[in-house]
Amino acid sequence: MIGLEAISAHNGWAMAITGSIIVMCGLSALAFIISQLHKVIGLFEKKKKEASPFAQPSTDIDILNDLPVTALLYQPLTAELGDSFPLAELYRIFERESLPHPHLTINALREADYLQSSGDGLFSWKKD
Amino acid sequence: MELFVEFLKTTGYYLADIRYIFMICVGILFCFLATAKKYEPLLLLPIGFGIIVGNIPFFKGFGLGIYENNSVLHYLYFGVTSGLYPSIVFLGLGAMTDFSSMLARPKLMLLGAAAQMGIYFTLLSALALGFAPKEAASVAIIGGADGPTSIFLTAKLAPHLIGPIAIAAYSYMALIPIIQPPIMRLLTTRKERLIRMPDTDRPITRKELLCFPIVGVILCCFLAPASIPLLGPFFFGNFMKESRVVDRLTKTASTAVIDTATIFLGFTVGASTQADVFLTGKSVGIFLLGAVAFSIATASGVIFAKIMNIFLKEKINPLLGAAGVSAVPGSAREVHLVGLKEDPTNYLLMHAMACNASGVIGSAICAGILWSFMMR
Repeated sequence: MIGLEAISAHNGWAMAITGSIIVMCGLSALAFIISQLHKVIGLFEKKKKEASPFAQPSTDIDILNDLPVTALLYQPLTAELGDSFPLAELYRIFERESLPHPHLTINALREADYLQSSGDGLFSWKKD
Repeated sequence: MELFVEFLKTTGYYLADIRYIFMICVGILFCFLATAKKYEPLLLLPIGFGIIVGNIPFFKGFGLGIYENNSVLHYLYFGVTSGLYPSIVFLGLGAMTDFSSMLARPKLMLLGAAAQMGIYFTLLSALALGFAPKEAASVAIIGGADGPTSIFLTAKLAPHLIGPIAIAAYSYMALIPIIQPPIMRLLTTRKERLIRMPDTDRPITRKELLCFPIVGVILCCFLAPASIPLLGPFFFGNFMKESRVVDRLTKTASTAVIDTATIFLGFTVGASTQADVFLTGKSVGIFLLGAVAFSIATASGVIFAKIMNIFLKEKINPLLGAAGVSAVPGSAREVHLVGLKEDPTNYLLMHAMACNASGVIGSAICAGILWSFMMR
């Protein structure tokens, strides 16, 4: 059996239409959920902050324009890496700590010489 | 002397016929394309060498061939027929995939869904050409442009077609630079190809990246439980990557584990193309339908992007629709290159990767859906 007759006999039309609809609905639902995911996460974080009486005050610094303060604040983060460290590790720590604009910040700190090359691809903080 | 003559009769030189020679030439062509032209070398090289090895004639009954019980090749081939290798490959893929571009642009996921229409169009075509339903479903999944998914579904529904379907799927993946660009240009105007996409919609937090694999596996696998063997490991691999607490496991999954599975998958799939099993009229039909499937998948993604543009205020570049097939990252790279040809400052790669990642999920869901349909 071939042709349209074969398609009908094997329920092909129904399978094709149903299958198309299912995959379209499935991915649309996933797209919708992930588009709302950050809102849900934000909601939980807000509740957590409200619930905690000892919530840390936000540091209202402009991290890219207030580099001396940024460098001072961020230096303790690299204590675990020792005096010299690769920038990739610093980036990983910034990301782990959910610090804003990690790439831009590292770049700005480098350009302003707060992060100085110590050879072999390693960097260290500028000594005061 | 008699012993020598008898020995000669057992050699491949004596047993060879034109079909084996032809298949060995195909294997050499694959190796040439992989090494000299660098067309998908990670896939074509093991497959090509596997074709050469699988088509060396031998006496049946010695336990040598891939289809003979107790042969070494048969044991290695078990990973294909059981769907083991595709699952492992998906684990590694998940550990390597960065979903941040997709999470930043969720609407592009719809293009990944639209590109799966090629699968269902091919299902109808294969049924119309006289393929049995299970065979038609296996042929249709080539439209998903995902080698492991094609092998997985074929192993479950029509194991006798694994060779031609796997070779067709991987061949068309390797031929993306030849197949996709003409279709993209045919279906879009220059003005459409010049559409610029915004750099990023919003930054993606680590928590989102961490939640996505869990949300994804629950939603997709509840919808099509038959896709668990593919999407389960896929999202698990991605969760390991995003958790950043099992770096060793992530590294192993994305290097040694996926590489080992790819080697054995490619080699045994190549070896399964024994001329006497492979060179049939059905294989020719599968290759033709595979080309149709791939082309329709590309076209449906592009056309759907154009339809979306009718309703969207901020237009999307319809070339991105072509990246909705799940050939990662080949189709995304091709979209990017076609866009660059029109405007050397228009970078579409990250947007195309969003469609590509969604295409991987979409084709695995489709495999699950087709398997469920055929189990009835």
